[in-house]
Amino acid sequence: MSDTVTLSLRGSLDGILEVEGVTGDRFAALGEREIATLPAWMGSRAAKLGDFFDVRGERSGSVRIEGDVSRMHRLAAGMTGGRVHVIGNAGDEAGLAMAGGVLLIEGNAGDRLGAASAGASKGMTGGEIIVLGSAGAEAAARTRRGLVVVAGAVGDDAARAMVAGTLVVFGRTGARPGRGSKRGSIVALGGIDVPETYWLACTYQPPYARLLLTYLRRHYGMKIDDRMLDGQYRRHCGDAGSPGRGEILEWVDAGR
Amino acid sequence: MKIRGVLIEDTFAEAFGMRAARIVVTAVNQRWARAAAEKFTGFATSVIACKCEAAVERELSPDETPDSRPGIAVLLFAMDTEGLGKRLIERIGQTVLTCPTTSCFDGLPGLPDRVTPGRALRVFGDRFQSSKVVGGERYWRIPVMDGEFLVQESFGVQKKGIGGGNFLILAEDAASGLAAAEAAVAAVQGTPGVILPFPGGVVRSGSKVGARGYANMIASTNDAFCPTLRLTTDSALSEGVNSVLELVFDGLSADAISSAMRTAILAACRPGVRAISAGNYGGGLGPYHFHLHKIMDGAS
Repeated sequence: MSDTVTLSLRGSLDGILEVEGVTGDRFAALGEREIATLPAWMGSRAAKLGDFFDVRGERSGSVRIEGDVSRMHRLAAGMTGGRVHVIGNAGDEAGLAMAGGVLLIEGNAGDRLGAASAGASKGMTGGEIIVLGSAGAEAAARTRRGLVVVAGAVGDDAARAMVAGTLVVFGRTGARPGRGSKRGSIVALGGIDVPETYWLACTYQPPYARLLLTYLRRHYGMKIDDRMLDGQYRRHCGDAGSPGRGEILEWVDAGR
Repeated sequence: MKIRGVLIEDTFAEAFGMRAARIVVTAVNQRWARAAAEKFTGFATSVIACKCEAAVERELSPDETPDSRPGIAVLLFAMDTEGLGKRLIERIGQTVLTCPTTSCFDGLPGLPDRVTPGRALRVFGDRFQSSKVVGGERYWRIPVMDGEFLVQESFGVQKKGIGGGNFLILAEDAASGLAAAEAAVAAVQGTPGVILPFPGGVVRSGSKVGARGYANMIASTNDAFCPTLRLTTDSALSEGVNSVLELVFDGLSADAISSAMRTAILAACRPGVRAISAGNYGGGLGPYHFHLHKIMDGAS
């Protein structure tokens, strides 16, 4: 048993590498050799994780991934516990349908961060995803529970059909956020075009946002402007096509 | 044993096991946090009639609270876990939920035994409430007229809480006794893990179990320590003692109570005080015995 399992990318990836089972809970039960033989696909070609990564450590729920894995998809997909720490960028569908644990990405994430598998009614059902860079389209789509935090911007269709849970965006939120959201929350700190299917309920200081931002500051060391803690937020309720229990908490001072 | 000329009697305080919760109330400023905390801890001097004992533990800076706002920590003690849960529902619901700008958090995170007042209080939201999980803890957002009341769903229960640590200040006159009691309370105010649940931290109506003259009384005046009865009852007071005051301590642990008692007794040993004694029932009722000489070891 090791403190951490480290995957070090040997060289740059020539194409899209899809992986299954690169999760804290799975690695906690696997030896070094078993981790290296986990299935992977380079395009349509079947391969093993060990074909691309040096594996150090075993039987630990703490996983560290070194190298630019922006072309590696489905990192931490379906994770139920443990911690995956990506030192650089991650590819598409990181944290897909995650149910627990922590996925920390120091760089950028691709599309469908914490979203649902194709055809699935719900995406993430628990755990926390923290991206210190930006994320692509459909971040937190169909999220049922859990927390997705993006320090930079997110692409279009963020929190699409969100069932519940929270998406926090410190940068600019892309087009059509929260479309079809049922009870989800978007905390928009860097500017957002609120869809017409949301209505402004009030401007206030949501205690939940304050608690959440304090947690992110203390637990993940994120730099949180005091003005975000003390500031006013517009509460927009929607989406009109759904029960209307979704919300966008828009920081009033965004962009000033 | 004597400390600054004050006799420390060779006796002990007899205390009982209780269940305890620590509640953190935050608000826009310390004034409103205290407003809620003072109401929360009202009428909570003794389980004999109040069903719980509670008081402010200490003020908290924004660095110490979950939402970075000024706060106050309150300790509440009850005889069992079920009672503790009920008192929390009643008191958070009537005094914190109602107070402008407040939020309410568990002050004993990580304890395995839990009660869930937040889950009960959520229904005040009449299905407009929503829940959020932050750091593995569930919180309820209840819509209220100034915005939202945020309350943590579950609160830790300290099953090894202790109620009834105490000592008695035997003074030559009322003024000296009160001054000593005030000094003792001031010395321990803000001590983590300990409260003094009586008014101003001081009790003048120390009690004994049951009564001589009334069969239905649970407790009655501690006649052995009433100066006016010195010659008419089996008195514990010597001539020259004309006023007795008691400090009662509830704590999250025996160590917390011992430490606070030592600090308070040292502060109470001042001119006009003849002796420090303690209240007990012969040692057969309460499992925790705080021996004054042991607590004050090395202080004389």
